[in-house]
Amino acid sequence: MNEPRNWVNKIEIDMDACKGCKTCMNACFADVIRWNDADNKPVVAYPEDCVWCLACEVACPTQCIEVIPNIPAPLRSSY
Amino acid sequence: MADTKDLGEVVATDILIIGGGIGGLVTAIKAKEENPNADVLIVEKQTTGWAGKATKIGGILAFLGPDNNADKFMDFQVRNSGFYLNDQDLLSKYVQSSYRAIENFNEWGAKLARTPDENLVIIPAFWAPEWSLTFIDIDLMLPIRTRARKMGVKFMDKIHVVDLVKQANKITGAVGFDIINGNFHIFKAKATVLANGSCGYKVRRFWIAGTGDGIAAAYRAGAEMRNAEYGNLYGHTVWQDTDSGMVGHQFLVNSLGENLTQKYLPNTGPTGVFLPVQLAIGLEKEVAEGRGPIYFEPPPSTGPGFPPMDLPKLNDWQRCTAEKESKYGLPPTVKREIGVPLHGETSCIKVDHEMRTSLEGLWAIGDTSYAGSAVAGAVASPPGVTPGSGIMYAVISAGWAGPSAARYAKEASTSDIDYAETKNLEEEIFSPMQSGNNFLPGDAINTLQEVTAPIKYNLRRSRERLNEALIRLEELKVKIPHLKAKDYHYLSKCHEVKSMVLCAELTFRAALMREESRGSHFREDYPKRIDENWLKWIILKQDGGRMKLATQSVPIDKYEIKPND
Ligand SMILES: Cc1cc2nc3c(=O)[nH]c(=O)nc-3n(C[C@H](O)[C@H](O)[C@H](O)COP(=O)(O)OP(=O)(O)OC[C@H]3O[C@@H](n4cnc5c(N)ncnc54)[C@H](O)[C@@H]3O)c2cc1C
Ligand code: SF4
Ligand code: SF4
Repeated sequence: MNEPRNWVNKIEIDMDACKGCKTCMNACFADVIRWNDADNKPVVAYPEDCVWCLACEVACPTQCIEVIPNIPAPLRSSY
Repeated sequence: MADTKDLGEVVATDILIIGGGIGGLVTAIKAKEENPNADVLIVEKQTTGWAGKATKIGGILAFLGPDNNADKFMDFQVRNSGFYLNDQDLLSKYVQSSYRAIENFNEWGAKLARTPDENLVIIPAFWAPEWSLTFIDIDLMLPIRTRARKMGVKFMDKIHVVDLVKQANKITGAVGFDIINGNFHIFKAKATVLANGSCGYKVRRFWIAGTGDGIAAAYRAGAEMRNAEYGNLYGHTVWQDTDSGMVGHQFLVNSLGENLTQKYLPNTGPTGVFLPVQLAIGLEKEVAEGRGPIYFEPPPSTGPGFPPMDLPKLNDWQRCTAEKESKYGLPPTVKREIGVPLHGETSCIKVDHEMRTSLEGLWAIGDTSYAGSAVAGAVASPPGVTPGSGIMYAVISAGWAGPSAARYAKEASTSDIDYAETKNLEEEIFSPMQSGNNFLPGDAINTLQEVTAPIKYNLRRSRERLNEALIRLEELKVKIPHLKAKDYHYLSKCHEVKSMVLCAELTFRAALMREESRGSHFREDYPKRIDENWLKWIILKQDGGRMKLATQSVPIDKYEIKPND
């Protein structure tokens, strides 16, 4: 039986380009992105749960997120 | 005297909707339309309007088009997909409500695909006769959320609802916690609607949010379940790469180049987009006997599945995905293998024609009750063999539940919530935060998937193997009290594990009881459909701490479509 690894290698956010709109945090259906109130910027808190659905990256108004997937996929075999 | 307010924040509402996916949002709108004065609150684990499944790829909406014949579609659906386990009256109600749901999307401001002269794109569904398709953009929920907000619906996000609370046989609210700060919340409601999705065991990447929390909460509160054995959908997908494509199974070949649909399903008609059971089992056999891997080889003349649509968000997403795959994926020269992941769609809360569960004050809609409503019959649903029904069932069932819950709430009074019960629930909910616990939720999920994902347990079933699966589940259950959460995000995961383990047990116990093969339930030891004994639904409920199973006869005599006519 294969042991699934993470679906994603890395999530990079260009904090200089980020305008602090919270869209990425709201867009995430897996609670990967949290908010840092002190800086008013997102935090990639749980990258291990990201499945590169790309909702955050596509919705970011300043295109400052890059989600880097982990391919080959760590999908569990059914055999 | 001790007061529940001392335990956490108490919020009272007329109608509590648990889950802010498409089904929850539409329930809220429909409840407000029925009674604009009702207080309606949506409590969502992530963020309402973005969360859930309806925003993921998809966008296919299947319905009875203006030129379709409802009777012919029903006949196909009952004979070839539901195999007579449908509630035919409810299926008929569903079919007749489907076009109105499409019109609703338009009224709510969600973007539907249009022809150049602004008509709705309508194309025939190639997987079923007399059934039509259109397409919707993946940001469909945002205008619906705006509309709900304008109607006065309230939202609380980032709250994981764990359990329902009950007085006598009546549901009076729910409890949960904030996944960011850990605050404990107590919701008092006259009517409660479960809209928090099905269980997919976190195998496939777009389905990870389906952890069966509502199903588990309803079961623990004593609600009846139905069709739990039909939660075992398997898809076929490009294995090494992305887990996104659900490609035509007629082009699957083994390493010798033999066409496997012709080998395992000779001379069959339309079989849907998902893998037919015999083909999935065939793929397992091919690999076991050394003729793997399986490849996908469409003839060069095969064009793209659907025409390009003017759906800007879907197009952005597709472009972004294609860029990732070409930048980080396998080179084009690598031949793509096909795998058969468990898709998992346990959706077994039993509901009536207004989506009322067997417990007073509790409704269940969308992916919590698709199989349990019996609208689809002997098939894991959504999508059964008729894709494009998940969003549609969520919206249509919400259209039944919202007004029903609003009418009920108008007459009902708020009940008190018992302090002692709430205190117990609070202790139970936060127990994984205790020091000394050492079972990590990620490890629990791995172990659980080893039991739920294999075809040998969940698709090519037999008494022996189902019992083996149940023993492995029992071994896992023993460790559940030791689940460890290092923070509230992981506390949420611990509760997801508990929900999924319960859904797995419901599935395997029902599958063990059904000693025949029908639809997506296949028993190697009972390979035939046995109508004399099994035109019955299996009903499960908790009774005295045990899982009790019973059967309920399908009222086939009163239905139009019967076997052998
Ligand atoms: C990749 C993919 C493609 C699909 N394609 C199509 C398609 O083309 N056409 C189609 O009709 N259907 C499609 N579906 C299915 C369809 O999206 C679902 O059937 C539909 O979204 C179900 O809606 P729902 O509101 O019942 O549940 P969901 O969309 O699952 O929403 C449930 C909500 O409840 C929340 N929740 C869960 N647990 C809790 C808890 N404990 N407390 C509080 N909140 C909670 C979740 O975060 C989520 O927001 C697709 C699904 C996926 C994943
Ligand atoms: S890609 Fe999807 S899962 Fe990953 S962080 Fe972005 S929104 Fe969340
Ligand atoms: S969506 Fe983009 S701009 Fe907005 S907070 Fe996230 S990273 Fe910053």
